[in-house]
Amino acid sequence: MTISTIDDLHKIKERENAKLNDKKIMLCGGTGCLAGGSLKIKAELEKGLEQNNLKDDVKVVMTGCNGFCAHGPLMVTHPDGVFYEQLNPEAAPKIIEDHYVKGQPIERYMYRDTVTRKPVSILNDIPFFNNQILVALKNRGVIDPENIDEYIAKDGYVAAAKALTSMTPKEIIKEIKDSGLRGRGGAGFLTGLKWELCSVVAGPEKYILCNGDEGDPGAFMDRSIMEADPHVVLEGMIIAAKAIGANYGYIYVRAEYPLAVKRLRIAVQQAKEYGLLGQNILGTGFDLDIEIYLGAGAYVCGEETALMRSIEGKRGSPIPRPPFPVEKGVWDKPSVLNNVETFANVPQIIIHGAEWFRSMGTEKSAGTKVFALTGAALNTGLIEVPFGISLRRIVDDIGGGLKKGRYFKALQLGGPSGGCIPEQLLDLPVTYEDIVKTGAIVGSGGMVVMDDTNCMVNLARFFLEFTAHESCGKCTPCRVGTRVMLNMLTEITLGNGREGDIELLEDLAADIRAASLCGLGQTAPNPVLTTIKYFRNEYEAHIRDRWCYAGVCKNLCTFYIDESLCTGCTACARACSTSCIAGEKKKPHTINQSACVQCRSCFTACKFGAVKIGSADKFKQQEVSI
Amino acid sequence: MGRNILVVDDDDIIVKSCMAVLGSDGHQVSGVTSAKEAMELIKKNTYDLIITDIIMPTIDGLELIKWLNDNYPYLRIIVITGFSSKAVLRDAIALDINDFLPKPFFPQTLIDTVNRTLSTPPKVPVPQKTVELFDTERLLAITQQYRKKRGALITVLQEAQELIGYLPASAQKIIAKGMKIPVSEVYAVVSFYSFFSMKPMGKYNVRVCQGTACYVKRANEILNNLQKDLGINEGEITQDNLFSLETVRCIGACGLAPVVVIDSDTFGKVDPAKTNEILKNYR
Repeated sequence: MTISTIDDLHKIKERENAKLNDKKIMLCGGTGCLAGGSLKIKAELEKGLEQNNLKDDVKVVMTGCNGFCAHGPLMVTHPDGVFYEQLNPEAAPKIIEDHYVKGQPIERYMYRDTVTRKPVSILNDIPFFNNQILVALKNRGVIDPENIDEYIAKDGYVAAAKALTSMTPKEIIKEIKDSGLRGRGGAGFLTGLKWELCSVVAGPEKYILCNGDEGDPGAFMDRSIMEADPHVVLEGMIIAAKAIGANYGYIYVRAEYPLAVKRLRIAVQQAKEYGLLGQNILGTGFDLDIEIYLGAGAYVCGEETALMRSIEGKRGSPIPRPPFPVEKGVWDKPSVLNNVETFANVPQIIIHGAEWFRSMGTEKSAGTKVFALTGAALNTGLIEVPFGISLRRIVDDIGGGLKKGRYFKALQLGGPSGGCIPEQLLDLPVTYEDIVKTGAIVGSGGMVVMDDTNCMVNLARFFLEFTAHESCGKCTPCRVGTRVMLNMLTEITLGNGREGDIELLEDLAADIRAASLCGLGQTAPNPVLTTIKYFRNEYEAHIRDRWCYAGVCKNLCTFYIDESLCTGCTACARACSTSCIAGEKKKPHTINQSACVQCRSCFTACKFGAVKIGSADKFKQQEVSI
Repeated sequence: MGRNILVVDDDDIIVKSCMAVLGSDGHQVSGVTSAKEAMELIKKNTYDLIITDIIMPTIDGLELIKWLNDNYPYLRIIVITGFSSKAVLRDAIALDINDFLPKPFFPQTLIDTVNRTLSTPPKVPVPQKTVELFDTERLLAITQQYRKKRGALITVLQEAQELIGYLPASAQKIIAKGMKIPVSEVYAVVSFYSFFSMKPMGKYNVRVCQGTACYVKRANEILNNLQKDLGINEGEITQDNLFSLETVRCIGACGLAPVVVIDSDTFGKVDPAKTNEILKNYR
């Protein structure tokens, strides 16, 4: 079947909407839940439905990532919206029995409030979800990503049809420019402006590119969109292609995301069958072909010029700009590269208008942003919030705060190009401008919550290790500079830090930043600079006192038991991997320092906070003083 | 237990008698009368031991041994020769052979030498997929399919790696030839991207995620423990070719941190102390 007019789209929508009240089980088929065994659960659910003769009444649908990954595998019943989490194959027959046969929602698999521990049955009542505003992720968990009809039922391809049939390229660009949409990949460049710059360059051959090479460790926004709603990416690209006058597009996606690749391929195939891609789309005479191009695992290929070299089949080394890709991009032809999430926003803006988009967010940072909230927060997963929300609300309300007994230390934003934001700055609103002032960046949206068990020096070392490894080697300051910084940080974490190291790190950072060609080198020092800025005391403690407060750097800490807090519950002694904790029941225990391997088991096991972390020399000094 | 043995000698009588003697001891023995035929057979079949003469027309035994050392370093080699001059002996020993039998020899001496050699482990571990055992035709077909498409090199390499499991130098040469580009260009791309490997993988490829979310949940301890459990370092392969171990920069399953991936199975929320339990299912 081919779609040639908007009416055809409406027909499919009506056909699908007639089925709107059909009972469905929306089972999450995102990578996290699949790893948790959602395929097995699906088989069990279907078996249970068959046994109860409900096979024709209730359908099981595998959706894309629901976002609440920490509680997966999970499912939502449709249309009543009851949310069940942490499922396993044994849970499936019970849910069918209670929920569908008896009609009683089953509390055991419901979300429990982090404070009151009361079960919450409806998805939208869970704070993790009800504090979010979904634009780019609006179809997550509500459609089957491998079925184009379900996407069309949610107003899919209406924006593309509107742009192709009733808007000129100038009108499209004006709408996007007015909306204030900024690139969601990290740099935050105005999308409409980028399109305009490319559209005015003359030339019959232009390219529209989608950057799905999501390399930041701790980030999975783009992956989730590509898995849950692949058609929205295609639709965004169609609109952009029309605006700049491109007839060929590439989606560059990491080979490490096999599910995203599979679903994008299905989506492209379906769109072609419907005539939404290919020749003469919707009878407008506009042609567009889209190719899925698999990346081969190089972080630097997230940088636009490097990505374009990679599409050309070469090493992904960045090249100097100007000329900018809007003039000379892939194959030296004018090209526009946008991030997956940017494209996901475009159809919504075309449908609802720039004013609607501007009503969310702030003056300079309009709309919403998807973040991957991970780390020590209780409720981790994928969230979409309007710009301007405070970081504290994200961590406390959506993230549900931290585990009992742990306290918040820092929020890492923006991956290896970003930085750590300390507790005192948590009330900052999330906007491009405010976050940059702290030394971090909004970046692509990785947000890692750090608690008191994370060592900031070691974290800076981790990111430097990443950038040193991923530096393409073209610019010496980046290739050699990051390695020198990494070596210094490694020495500090090993206990060989010297006075003056911190100042030298700051010095090197300034040089690397000034002398590198691309964003990777220019931002590589950020994690070190922000940790020095906000956690200088930790660096100093490592160097002067040989003390890693978090107990992560093994040469720089001693685990000991505070006798005044120890209740003698023996939990630590049982957890100890080398049996070096001695003590009678209900009496304070002691750790035999010569046998301790600092495995942290006792520290994690103790419920009373009696296991403390001292400096490496704590007991040596005592011996001297005696 | 019978093993696969190949006898190479330009003297047909020696070949036949060796085949008869070793065959009676329960081995599967093939015999050829020139080094050229031997190379053809070695490319096609797998052998545990090669018995070769030194003085042969066109390609002599020393050259054959050199070729074997370059391409099949794990093959055991016994040299049989009638010209046991010190110079020949020195040359042969310098080439790292397993044993040496001066002709003529008694049948029992041959059997004893062969079995003694077979009881030693190969000089280097046998790779799971031996070099050039891949389908050259299919590889060429892949290059032909994409030759006219610009920028297809990475795609070709991805498909080639899918076919062979890794990208040995020999495969890169074939790809360069098929795509009509210099080998250096192919190697430049292979060495740049971490997805490509020039080393064979184990039967099960264990990948430890080192993304931020995993790292703050002690993924480095998981890596250390796996290295201890498997007795290998990151980027290596176990003696029995069962496991290879590598790190990966975030697979985007941060909600499950810390994560270990074995082939296509993902293990979430891994306890660093219990890495061995994951491996158990694969041993």
